[in-house]
Amino acid sequence: MRYHISALAVTVGLAVATSSAADGHLSLDGKTIGVAVVGTQHFWDREAFNGATSTVESLGGTVVAVDGGRDNQVHADNHDILLNNGVDAVISILGDGSVEPKFEALKAAGIPVFTVDHPSPHAVNNTTSDNYYMGTTIGRYMADAIGGEGKVAVFNAFENALRICGIRTGLWKYVLEDYPGIEIVQPELAEEFANAPEDARKKTLDLLSQYPEGTLDAIHVGCWDQPAIGVVQALEEAGRTDVLVTALDGGPDTLEIMAEDGSPFVANVAQQPNLIGSTSAMNVARYFAGETLLPQTYVDVVPVNGQAEAKAAYSALGYGSLD
Amino acid sequence: MQADPTRKRGVTDLVGSLPLIIFACVLIYISFNAPNFLTLRNLELILMQSLPVVLVCAGLGAVVMAGGDDVVSGGIDLSIPATAVLSAGITAVMLSQGWPLAICAGVALLACLSVGLLNAALVTRIGMTPLLTTLAMFVAVVGVNNVITSSRRIDVDHPWIVALRAQEIAGVPLGIIAVALVVAAIYFALHRTRWGLNLQAAGGSRDAAEISGLPVSRLFGQSFVLASGTGYICGFFVLARGSGSSPGVQDNLMLEMVLATFLGAAFSTRRVVTMWGAVLGAVLVAAISIGFKSIGVNVFWTGLIKGSLIVIVVALSALAQRGR
Repeated sequence: MRYHISALAVTVGLAVATSSAADGHLSLDGKTIGVAVVGTQHFWDREAFNGATSTVESLGGTVVAVDGGRDNQVHADNHDILLNNGVDAVISILGDGSVEPKFEALKAAGIPVFTVDHPSPHAVNNTTSDNYYMGTTIGRYMADAIGGEGKVAVFNAFENALRICGIRTGLWKYVLEDYPGIEIVQPELAEEFANAPEDARKKTLDLLSQYPEGTLDAIHVGCWDQPAIGVVQALEEAGRTDVLVTALDGGPDTLEIMAEDGSPFVANVAQQPNLIGSTSAMNVARYFAGETLLPQTYVDVVPVNGQAEAKAAYSALGYGSLD
Repeated sequence: MQADPTRKRGVTDLVGSLPLIIFACVLIYISFNAPNFLTLRNLELILMQSLPVVLVCAGLGAVVMAGGDDVVSGGIDLSIPATAVLSAGITAVMLSQGWPLAICAGVALLACLSVGLLNAALVTRIGMTPLLTTLAMFVAVVGVNNVITSSRRIDVDHPWIVALRAQEIAGVPLGIIAVALVVAAIYFALHRTRWGLNLQAAGGSRDAAEISGLPVSRLFGQSFVLASGTGYICGFFVLARGSGSSPGVQDNLMLEMVLATFLGAAFSTRRVVTMWGAVLGAVLVAAISIGFKSIGVNVFWTGLIKGSLIVIVVALSALAQRGR
């Protein structure tokens, strides 16, 4: 598996090198690009934002940035400001259904919208991870980790609100259909969008008091991994690290937790948020160069199963070394 | 030597109008640095974004007028934003289950009015402090709403709700017209009816109002019910703005409501909370937020600058009041 990850690192490196060679003609000279991000507190959001803004600037464009402070409504309202500023295009990172009317207004004003992790009928292109692969992979890894049977609790606040979460959690459940011995604890848990680690910590402590030792096998976070930080804290506080944790996103913060000896956090699928943001900015330039874009651009993900792979992924993704 | 009273009065007036001057300077600075800030379209944008805050500010304004403007012992209702999300939550959940809008709105109205009645009973019958009562009510009502919505986002695309956001009448957004009418109606009730004048008298000087035989407690209680009504209406604007109900909207709404209402006091000649002051405060808070984003100020700095402006304005208004 280590080979798999280093091979991926090489592939990613090659892909970036090839694309920069082939895309040498692309330019955003004289263009003003609005970049709206839902927040910059979390690694994923911040990296996608950094990838997008630095690429726009390296292509000669000017960035007008707005940050929603991890509040979906503020994020949506920020698009009005970009519309009013008369930018040439908008890159919109994450956001729930409240951004849709804003995209519609931008489109009506002739400003093309490029989304990151938010498929929308009003967007030219959505750049995202391969969410289908993420959902099924984490389903298989989790089922394997608990031996194909047991009780599983899931943090699942966004399955119906965000399409990417619908895909990830929906396919996780799809995989579990083939494991009749696995039972999803009802009702499912709903984590807060802002302040997720602390909120998940409290909810996990409540959950653990409802399910005494031996009656709960795993806790899965359906769409991201910030809540998993709080879940692991709660398990350690309660001395219940026999309960396994799985999640998605694989930022450096959670890979570090996975890399600890005896960590209950056993599986993850890491994304490349910086490359996603950067790819979206390249797509804006391709659009202005008159190239045809597909509605969705997928960026590779890195499955992470266990401590050793967490360490390998950490260095392959350029976060440093955990050895 | 005695100070010249005319001169002292002049200094006080200057200190009193400094908040306006500061806000004007900030807005002028922004308009020089942001393209399209001083346009009709941007003004419309500012008004549209301020609508939910304007509504809850009008409600809070009424409670402060009825209970007196001492933040701790006077009139205050922090539960209005929670009532607003309760209204939005109930309507969204019932709409998604296929109920007609009128029924959803009716159920939401009953729920919101019971919050107002409960506030009124706890404050005027049991004698609890409004600040603590309504803060506790805020937490409780948000909790109830989390149960109703399972803390999840619910999309709403009912044409009437969408119309509040997108419909225009003679070039003016329907939402702005609707809120203007609601605010005008509340203003009329508070300033042009006997009930409203009694309510203001009760808040102005409780003892004097009691001596002259006014039902002070009942009037104060009624202001809480009126406030829950503004929260109820605000709920529909929350739904329209976000094309659905999202968890967490209440926090920002609460912060902006309190800031805007007490900021608004700085704009009244007597430095007290008034309806128009509160409404103007809400619009200014929105204008400053949009302005700073338009000139590319980092969102975290926006919070600091907004907070500092509020402190300066309120401090100056306190100074001006002392000088009188």
